[in-house]
Amino acid sequence: MLSRPIIEDVLTAALSTGGDFAEIFVEDRFNTGLLLVGGKIESGISGRDYGVGIRIFYGLNSIYAYTNDSTRENLIKVAKEAAAAIKGSSINQVLDFTKTEIENIHPIKVIPSNIEKSQKVELIKRAYNAAKNFDEVISQVTVRYLDNEQNVLIANSEGLYVEDKRTRTRTAISAVASANGEMQSGSYGPGAHMGFEFYDKINIEDYAKEAARIAKAMVYADLCPSGKMPVVIDNEFGGVIFHEACGHGLEATSVAKGTSVFAGKLGEKVASDVVTAVDDGTIPNAWGSQNIDDEGTKTKKNVLIENGVLKGYMIDKLNGLKMGMPSTGSSRRQSYKYAPTSRMTNTYIANGSSTKEEIIANTEYGLYAKYMGGGSVNPATGDFNFAVSEGYIIRNGKIAEPVRGATLIGTGLEVLKEIDMVGNNLGFGQGMCGSLSGSIPTDVGQPTIRVKSITVGGRKGGQ
Amino acid sequence: MANRELIEKIFNKGKELGLGDMEVYIQGNKQFDTRIFEGEIDKYSISDEVGLSFRGVYNGKMGYSYTEKVDESSIDMLIKEAMGNAVTVDSDDEEEIFAGSKEYKEVNTYNSELENVTSEQKIEFAKALEKAAYEADKRVTSVNYCLYDESTSYSVLANTKGLNLENKSNIAETYVSVVVKDGDDIKTGEKYIISNDFSKFNAEELAKGAVDEAISMLKAESIESGEYPIILRNDVAASVLQAFSSVFIAENVQKDLSLLKGKLNEQIAKELITIVDDPFLKDGVVSASFDGEGVATKYKKVIDKGVLKTYLHNSKTAKKDGVESTGNASKGSYKSPVSISPTNMYIENGSTSVDDMIESTEKGIMIIDVQGLHSGLNAVSGDFSLSAYGYLIEKGKISRPVNQITIAGNLYEVLKNIDSVGNDLKFGFPGFGYIGSPSLKINSLAVAGK
Repeated sequence: MLSRPIIEDVLTAALSTGGDFAEIFVEDRFNTGLLLVGGKIESGISGRDYGVGIRIFYGLNSIYAYTNDSTRENLIKVAKEAAAAIKGSSINQVLDFTKTEIENIHPIKVIPSNIEKSQKVELIKRAYNAAKNFDEVISQVTVRYLDNEQNVLIANSEGLYVEDKRTRTRTAISAVASANGEMQSGSYGPGAHMGFEFYDKINIEDYAKEAARIAKAMVYADLCPSGKMPVVIDNEFGGVIFHEACGHGLEATSVAKGTSVFAGKLGEKVASDVVTAVDDGTIPNAWGSQNIDDEGTKTKKNVLIENGVLKGYMIDKLNGLKMGMPSTGSSRRQSYKYAPTSRMTNTYIANGSSTKEEIIANTEYGLYAKYMGGGSVNPATGDFNFAVSEGYIIRNGKIAEPVRGATLIGTGLEVLKEIDMVGNNLGFGQGMCGSLSGSIPTDVGQPTIRVKSITVGGRKGGQ
Repeated sequence: MANRELIEKIFNKGKELGLGDMEVYIQGNKQFDTRIFEGEIDKYSISDEVGLSFRGVYNGKMGYSYTEKVDESSIDMLIKEAMGNAVTVDSDDEEEIFAGSKEYKEVNTYNSELENVTSEQKIEFAKALEKAAYEADKRVTSVNYCLYDESTSYSVLANTKGLNLENKSNIAETYVSVVVKDGDDIKTGEKYIISNDFSKFNAEELAKGAVDEAISMLKAESIESGEYPIILRNDVAASVLQAFSSVFIAENVQKDLSLLKGKLNEQIAKELITIVDDPFLKDGVVSASFDGEGVATKYKKVIDKGVLKTYLHNSKTAKKDGVESTGNASKGSYKSPVSISPTNMYIENGSTSVDDMIESTEKGIMIIDVQGLHSGLNAVSGDFSLSAYGYLIEKGKISRPVNQITIAGNLYEVLKNIDSVGNDLKFGFPGFGYIGSPSLKINSLAVAGK
């Protein structure tokens, strides 16, 4: 992607004013996107992302620069401009790269760019038909298809020189149901760090029907009541609760600054005994997985919370320096346009011992959140919110009428202590997580869990 | 310009391979971002980037492609991909390359004086901002974000129908977020300024605003669930309007994704509500003389005294509805096909001051922040349920801070339940358009709390 002598010259220029560490990130990525609305392909767009990011550390500070002009002259100019922000003197450093060959634990069988576009069109039309024909109440279906192949080269002044290739594909189906002048939508977006063979592993029509089923269930649903109540959150994308409520607060980005509610709490009890939580970037072919992180460190399985006790954070190089702790292979970025920082990969609550049926049967009254939407958090206060996209009232230990429009709010530390039952049906859902270093693919996951008491915000008054 | 040569070569190659009308759109951007943490430069980022978007008609359909490697090595890929993508399109909607409008109104979005402010001055400003935040109150334990970002952009739109348009703009943004602590009670507050006039950046005022707001939330508690009159402060009203602005997009209306379908010239809101889309607004961050297709932009009222007057169109949706484009075609970036977005869109000022709104409230809540706009709000159904905080109002006075609540309702019902419109128009962060609103008082919303 870039020759070694150029990389050497760029890193030397980057260190010319006394920086301690310099890194270059070269990205060449090919994206394909297709949009289908109402049965017809509306647009297709494909193209190439290409650019170079240069990062310098001096002490605990850092400088970042990026450009799409990868000629030697321009890269050296950019490196010098970045270095000019440091007012020190050059240290003569000999750069000696050892190329690290990484073991590819996410094998790709069918490179998406080798697949005819017509096959991708056929796939999303199948999804469309499955959703549209699910029920006559389904008034509109939108399907987005995407795949991308990202090639990265990461080299740094510590002698690292490594390349990686990431291939991802995803199909997102959104169905709208209309009845009695109301519209409700349901969506599902399966994806993986995999080639086109992903669609042999899953049946896209099942997901499309599920999106349609959610929309239909919600258009006939009553408004959700509000107030504090027990909430049973189902598996897979339900894991967004841990992602938002706690995951962000466990990223070194806010821990190193002491602005996270979890800062300084290692070894302390932060959750109820039944909670064990993990961030694992090594799950083969999972949406949020990578062989190496975006600083070139091998990804790992990091236990965050074990039986309620805080065991670890997700750490990148720079924040690791600030915290005096090693990188956990958690440094990620959307593209060369972002300096990397600690982020989640595939984050989940581990299996417990209850069954989903037991959890529901043990709940006298409450909300059953079958599917969750997205959410957000303020890491300083731990205040989070997220949306329930398909909900039901639980009455006398049984799932009763559907309700819509619910939002769950609370604080991370509180909700972790309120989880009192954890199921044994761990599953994952795919999402895009937006934060300081851009929007990145992440998996969330959990078995069915119960939160003893949490504030439910709906449009129907208190019960 | 080197770009011109490249554009010609792309068009020539396209013609050779059988493409009809073609268009190239180039977007360049130079950026400087800095963030301060505890007196030190925590982030210092510079960039110089460019992207090229290509589209062309092949087999009667529009095909798109793009590249960030803006040189001759990309020409073949651009043409080949655009042709491949055109072949997949089977929508009946016609999409055309635009020959040009008669007249383009001049719009000034570039302030050359900003170039004269040195990096040192900008860093000094951000440092002063952080310092002022710490000094504003001893309960400030950390300033978790203190940043200054600036970008200078240009765009070029050229097509085979002879259109050749250029635009240049610059903008700076400063944002501060503080954490205050009193015992175990932690609260945050934030403020920002967006402008290309550096003289408007007042560190003390900005810092004080953020700190005062954080302090004002200490000892906040939830409230009994129920129905309450709600005042949405101007910045909150602006962000809610932004999140719902897709309902005015003609594309969504035509695809049955907006409940405003069939409502043109109907009273959909209280008479107090007038919504304007003004691409020529002075200090409007997204002001422009031409849109993403090269169509001249224009001023319009989307809602006039509660009556829906128009949707926002590009050429494709306008043709389908048999109307003229409203000049709202947008290219979110060079990576996206032409779509539609508002320009500077805002609810016009009313006549009620916020103080009057508070005074006339027996028991209600003034909301000063909402979260979860991307998840707790459904633009298709109009339903929303948002995490929020603010102040309880009792007997016409602010009595205490309130947090850990949600406010829930439906956009279409809220529009008909507006009690009064403030006189304090304020704009939010530019995103999908640059959206503003004065404070709004709503008769009643469902509040979930204790």
